[in-house]
Amino acid sequence: QEVVLKLHQFLPAQSFVPANILDPWADRIEAESQGRIRIERFPAMQLGGKPADLVDQMQDGVVDIVWTLPGYTPGRFPRTEVFELPFMVRDAEGASRAFWQLAQSDMRDADFKDMHLLGAWVHGPGVIHSARPVARLEDMAGLKLRAPSRATTRLLEQLGAVAVGMPVPAVPEAMSKGVIDGALLPWEVTSSIKVQELVGHHTEFPGRGVYVATFILAMNKDVYEGLPQDLRAVIDAASGEGFSAQAGRLQQGADAPQRQVAADRGNAIVTLDAAEAARWETAAAPVTAAWVAELEAAGIDGQALLDKARGLLAQNAN
Amino acid sequence: MDRLIRQIARLSALAGGVVLLALVGMICASVLGNATLKLAQMAWVQSTLPGLAEGMRAAGIGPIRASYELVEIGVAFVIFAFLPWVQITRGHAMVEVFTARLPARADAALAALWEVLMAAAMVLIAWRLYAGMLGKVKNAETTFLMQIPLWWAYAACLVAACLAALVTLWATVAALRRAARAWA
Amino acid sequence: MSDLGLGFLSFPVLLALIFARAPIGLAMLICGAGGLTLLTGSPNIVLAKLKTETFSTFSNYNLSIIPMFLLMGQFATLGGMSRALFRAAGAFVGHLKGGLAMAAVGACAGFGAICGSSLATAATMGQVALPELRRAGYSGGLSTATLAAGGTLGILIPPSVVLVIYAILAEQNIAKLFLAAFVPGILAALGYALAIALYVRRHPEAAGSAPALPLRARFAALLPVWPVIVVFGLVVGGIYGGWFTPTEGAAVGAAGTGLIAWATGGMSWRGVQDAILETARTSAMIFFIILGAASYNSFLAFTRVPQELSSFVVGQGFSPWAVLWLILLVYLILGCLMDSLSMILLTIPIFFPVIMGLDFGMTPEATAIWFGILVLIVVEVGLITPPVGMNLFVIAAMNRDVPISATYGAVLWFVAADLIRVALLVAFPAIVLVLI
Ligand code: NA
Ligand code: NA
Repeated sequence: QEVVLKLHQFLPAQSFVPANILDPWADRIEAESQGRIRIERFPAMQLGGKPADLVDQMQDGVVDIVWTLPGYTPGRFPRTEVFELPFMVRDAEGASRAFWQLAQSDMRDADFKDMHLLGAWVHGPGVIHSARPVARLEDMAGLKLRAPSRATTRLLEQLGAVAVGMPVPAVPEAMSKGVIDGALLPWEVTSSIKVQELVGHHTEFPGRGVYVATFILAMNKDVYEGLPQDLRAVIDAASGEGFSAQAGRLQQGADAPQRQVAADRGNAIVTLDAAEAARWETAAAPVTAAWVAELEAAGIDGQALLDKARGLLAQNAN
Repeated sequence: MDRLIRQIARLSALAGGVVLLALVGMICASVLGNATLKLAQMAWVQSTLPGLAEGMRAAGIGPIRASYELVEIGVAFVIFAFLPWVQITRGHAMVEVFTARLPARADAALAALWEVLMAAAMVLIAWRLYAGMLGKVKNAETTFLMQIPLWWAYAACLVAACLAALVTLWATVAALRRAARAWA
Repeated sequence: MSDLGLGFLSFPVLLALIFARAPIGLAMLICGAGGLTLLTGSPNIVLAKLKTETFSTFSNYNLSIIPMFLLMGQFATLGGMSRALFRAAGAFVGHLKGGLAMAAVGACAGFGAICGSSLATAATMGQVALPELRRAGYSGGLSTATLAAGGTLGILIPPSVVLVIYAILAEQNIAKLFLAAFVPGILAALGYALAIALYVRRHPEAAGSAPALPLRARFAALLPVWPVIVVFGLVVGGIYGGWFTPTEGAAVGAAGTGLIAWATGGMSWRGVQDAILETARTSAMIFFIILGAASYNSFLAFTRVPQELSSFVVGQGFSPWAVLWLILLVYLILGCLMDSLSMILLTIPIFFPVIMGLDFGMTPEATAIWFGILVLIVVEVGLITPPVGMNLFVIAAMNRDVPISATYGAVLWFVAADLIRVALLVAFPAIVLVLI
C-alpha cells in the first residue's frame, strides 16, 4: 500500500449512504488504483467527536476524508443553504448536478476553500414525520420537530412548529424519549433509524420536497495535493459531478421502498392538496427573504446566488 | 495563597452551580409552557375555548424554543466550571488498593507524579480549547436556533478551563513540596 | 510496533497506571493521547482532536441529566427527604436481614426505569442511599457494592440508550427489544436481592437490622414522605407519559426537591452552597472519566483492536455455542476498559452478522433479540467486575472511607448473580423471548 486514507462519517456502516454510495465509491478507487490506495472506513463517529466535528477533523488532518452535512455546522457554509430553502427541489439527481456546478463556480474559493471537494449532492424530497397528524398548516402549531439545518429550522418556526436541531443518529433516541414529536427527513433514511415504528404520521408536499439537505464528501486539501498525479486521477475519475448526480439519484431511488414500509405498517401518509400547499408556501416565503437579506449583510449577493441556483435547477431538471 | 486558590475553585464551582440552576429553571419553564399549551390544544378545550391555543402561542406560552441548544452549551460550561473544585478537593476516582502499603517516600513521589501529569493534562486541555475557540471565531459557526456564535461558549469554557489549570498547577507545587520534604 | 500491537499493549499499561493510583480519567487520557501520538508518529492528531472534542464531550444534552439528578439528590438530602424515604422503607423491610440494601436495589431498578445510563444511576442513587445504608449499620463494602451493582440496572431496565443503538445497528424493532429486556431486568433485581440475602447470611455483621414494627407504625412512617413521593411520581410518571424527557424530568425533580427543602426550612444559603459544591465534585469526577474514556476509545478505534479481536473470534471455526461464549467473554474483557456505547458501536457490526449466520434453532429475529439482551447484560457486568469497573470507581470515589478492597470483596457476590443469570439466559432463550 502506498496510501491509506481514513474515511470518517456519522452513520452505521450498513445504512443506505455508507453501504450504497460511499462503499462503492471507495471500492472503485481501491480497485482502479490497483490496490495502491486503501480507504479505511470508520462509520458511526468511531474515531470520536460529534457529527459537527467532522469538518474540523478533516481540515486538521485527524482523518483524510469525511462525509457530512454542511447544515451540521450552521454559519460555516452559508452558500450551500440556497438548496435547503423551502420547497426548492423536485428531483435529487438534477439538484445534485446543480449543487455540484454551483459549488464549482461560486463556492470553491469561498465555503469550500479549505478542502478538496469530492462530491456534493442532495437527498430526495424531505417529508414531515410526526407523532400527531399534520394535514393543515394549523396542525404544525407547537409540534416539536427535529430540523437538519438552519434553513429548515426557520421554516419550521415560520410554520408555527418548534424546531430542535440535532443530527440524524440522535433522532431515534430523541423520538423514543419524547424529546421531539417528529422529524424532517427524507424517506430513504427512515427505516434504518426506526422512524416508521416511532411515529405514525407522514406529510408530503405535492410535487416537491418540503426541503432537502445538502451533503458533501470532502478530503483534506494537503493530503489530496500530496498524492502522485496518477492516484489523484483515479480519485478524480470516481468523484465529481457524475458521482454527485448518481448519489442524488440513488438516494431518491431508495425513498419509495421506505415509504412502502410506512404504508405497510398502516401509518397515515398525507399529501397536502394544492390549496393547502399554497398556504404553506405563503407562510414560508419570509424564510427565503430572510436568507437573502442575511447573506447580503455578510457581503454575499444572496439574490444572485438564489437566481443562479434556480436557473441551474431548471437546466438540470429531468 | 492556599486559601485564595481554594476560594477561586469554590467560586468557579458556585458559578457553574448558578448556571445549572438557571438551566433547571429554564427547563421547568419550558415544561410548564409545553404542558399548558398541550392542554389548550386538546380537542375539548379547542371546542369550548376556541382561540385559546393560538392566543397562548402569540403570548409566547409554550415550550422554550432554544431549550435544547441552551442546555447543550450551558452544561459544557457547568462541567468546565466544576473542574477546579474536583481538583482542589482531590475528588477524582482512583484505585488505592495496590498502593496502600507504600513507604512514605514512594507514596509522596507517586502523588507528585500524578499531580504533575494532571497539571499537564489540564494545561493541554485549556490550550487546545483556546485553539478551538480561535477556529470557531474564524469559521463563524453558530447554534441552530439562537445563532449564538459558538466561540462565545468556547470562551466561557476557556475561562473555567484556565482556572482549572491554575488550581491544578498550584496543587502540583504543593505535592512537589511534600515530596521534597519526604525525601529531604 | 504494529498498530494492533500498540492497541493490545495499551491494556496492561492502562491497568498499571490505574493500579498505581492514577486518577482513572487521567490514566485513560494518557493512554488515549499517548497511544495515538505513538500510532501516528506525531502529536498533531491528538492536538487537533482536543481542539473541539473536550467541548463536544461535555456539551451533551443527554449527559446533562447527570448534574441535574445529582443536584436533585443533594436537595433531597438537604430537606431530609432521603432519610425520611429510607426510614419509611426501613419501617417495612428494616427487620429483614439485608432488607434495606434490597430496598436500595429496588430503588435503583425504579430509577433505572427512567434513566438510560448506568453511571448516572449509580451516582445518583449512591448519593441518596449510601449515607442511609451506613447510618442503618450496613458495612461499607456491602453498601458500595450494592449501589455499584444496582447502577447496572439503569441500562437493563428500559428505556436504555444502549438498546436503542443496538436496535439500529442490528436493524431490530426497538419496542420488542425493550419488552425483551424487561424479564431479564426483573431477574437481575431479584438476583441482586438474593446475592444480598446470601451475603448477610455469610457475614451477619455486615447488615444492621431493626425490630419489626407494627403495621400502624409502618404506615405512620409513610406520612412525612408524601411530598417526596409526589415529586418522584411526577418525574417518573411525566417521563413515561411523554410529558417530558428524562433531562426535563431531572430538572423538574431538582426543582421539586429544591422547593420541598425550602418549604420545610431545610434550605439555608449555606446548605445550597454545599449542595452545589457536592454536585460539582461528583459531576466533574464523572465527566472527567467520560472524557478519558472518549479519548481512549477513539485511540482503540484507530488501532482497530476491537475489530481485529472480533474477526479473530470469528475466524476460529468453532461451534455456534462456543462462538457465542467466546463473544460474551470478549465483551466481558472489553467491558473492563471501555464504555458500553463505544464497545457496541465498534463490535456489533462484526459480531452481529456472525451470530446471525449460526444456527441456534431460533428464528433470525428471535436470535437477534436474544443476542442483543445477552450482550447488554455482559457489557454491564464489565462495569462491576474487579479490579476495573467504572461503576466501582464512581461509587468508591464518593466514599473515601470505604477501602476499595472491601467493595471488591462484596461485589463478587453480585457478579456471581450476574453470571448465573447469563448462563440461564443462554440455556433458556425463552426467558428473553417470553413477552414478544
Ligand atoms: Na433504563
Ligand atoms: Na470490569
